[in-house]
Amino acid sequence: MRKLKRTPKPIAILAGGVAALLLMPVAQAHHAFTAEFDAESPVLLTGKVTRVEWVNPHAWVHLAVQNEDHSTTDWMVEGGTPNTLFRTGITKKSLAAGTEIVVRGYQSKDHACEPACKANGRDVTFPDGSKLFMGSSGTGAPEDGADPSTHR
Amino acid sequence: MLNEWLLTLARWLDGFSWSTELHESLYMYAWIESTHVLTLMLFLGMLFIIDLRMLGVTFTSVPATTIAERLDRPMMIGFVVMVITGFILYFAIPVRSTQSIWFRIKVFLLIAAGINALLFRNKMRNPTGSWDLDPKPPKHIRTGAALSLTLWAAVVITGRTIAYDWYDCNKELPYFMYWAAGCVDEMAALDLQASLQ
Repeated sequence: MRKLKRTPKPIAILAGGVAALLLMPVAQAHHAFTAEFDAESPVLLTGKVTRVEWVNPHAWVHLAVQNEDHSTTDWMVEGGTPNTLFRTGITKKSLAAGTEIVVRGYQSKDHACEPACKANGRDVTFPDGSKLFMGSSGTGAPEDGADPSTHR
Repeated sequence: MLNEWLLTLARWLDGFSWSTELHESLYMYAWIESTHVLTLMLFLGMLFIIDLRMLGVTFTSVPATTIAERLDRPMMIGFVVMVITGFILYFAIPVRSTQSIWFRIKVFLLIAAGINALLFRNKMRNPTGSWDLDPKPPKHIRTGAALSLTLWAAVVITGRTIAYDWYDCNKELPYFMYWAAGCVDEMAALDLQASLQ
C-alpha cells in the first residue's frame, strides 16, 4: 500500500482555524448575548403580561410597564427556548395575559422602542414570589447570578 | 412584485397549525435544528475533503476519483437530510425567514453552489484526461473546487446569521434594505410618508 502524503502544516492549521470559526457560534448557544443586548443597560421592569410568543428558538414575553406618570410603555423580553423555560417551571399558563410580573434583564443595544422596547430577560418574579431564571445558559450574558447553572 | 408574492406564500404557510406547533414545540424544533446542523457537518465534511483533493491540497497520493467515489454516499445522505430539515425549519418560521436579508443571501448562494456543483460534479468524477492520478488536477477542476468551498462556507455563515435581528423589518432601515429584505409593509409606509410630504 502506498503511504498517504501528510497534509502540509500551514493548510492543516488553516483548516483547523476555519473549523473552529464555524463551530464557535454553535458553542455559544443560539445567538450571542453581546450581538444584540447591552450588558451596561440593566433594566428592572414591573408590569402586566400582554401576550407571550411561545416560540423557538427564543420565547418573547410582552408586557406593559407602568411608568411613574401612569402611562405605560410596551416592552418585549426575550427568554430561552420554550423547552428551557418549561424546565425552570415557566409555562404558557403561568404567563397568562394580565399576570403581574417583575423582569430583570438587559436592554437591546440599539435602545429602540419601536414597536416595543426590547430586552433580554434574566429572571422573572411571579405574583406568588417565585423567582425563576428565564434566559439561556452559555450565551455570554453577564454573570449576575440569575443563571442557576453558573452557581458552583 | 416578487416580494409581495413571497410574503403571501410565507403567510399562507404560517397559517398551517403544523407550522405554529413546530415553532412552539418543546422538543421537535430542537431535534430538527440539531439534525440540520449535524447533517450539514456530515455533508460539508465530505465535500471539503473532496474539494481539497480536487484543489491538489490533501490526499494527493490517492486518485481523485477514488476520493470522490468513496465519499459520495455519506455526502449525499448528509445533503438530503440537511435539505429536508432545512425546508422544515423554514416551514416553522416562514414569515421572518422570508423577510430575512441573510436568508435571502443564503438562498442565492445555495442556487449558485448548486449550479457550480452540477457543472463540476460530473467533470470531477469522470476525469476525461489522465489527471486522475495527478497530485494537482487541471485548472478548471481547481476553479470549481475553490468556488464550491467558498460558496458553501458563505452558505453556512449566512445561515448562521439568520439568527440575528440586526436587519429585521422592525428596525429603522434604508428603503433599499427594506426592498432587499422584502419588508413590504415598511416600504408601503415609507411610500405613504413620501407622498404626504
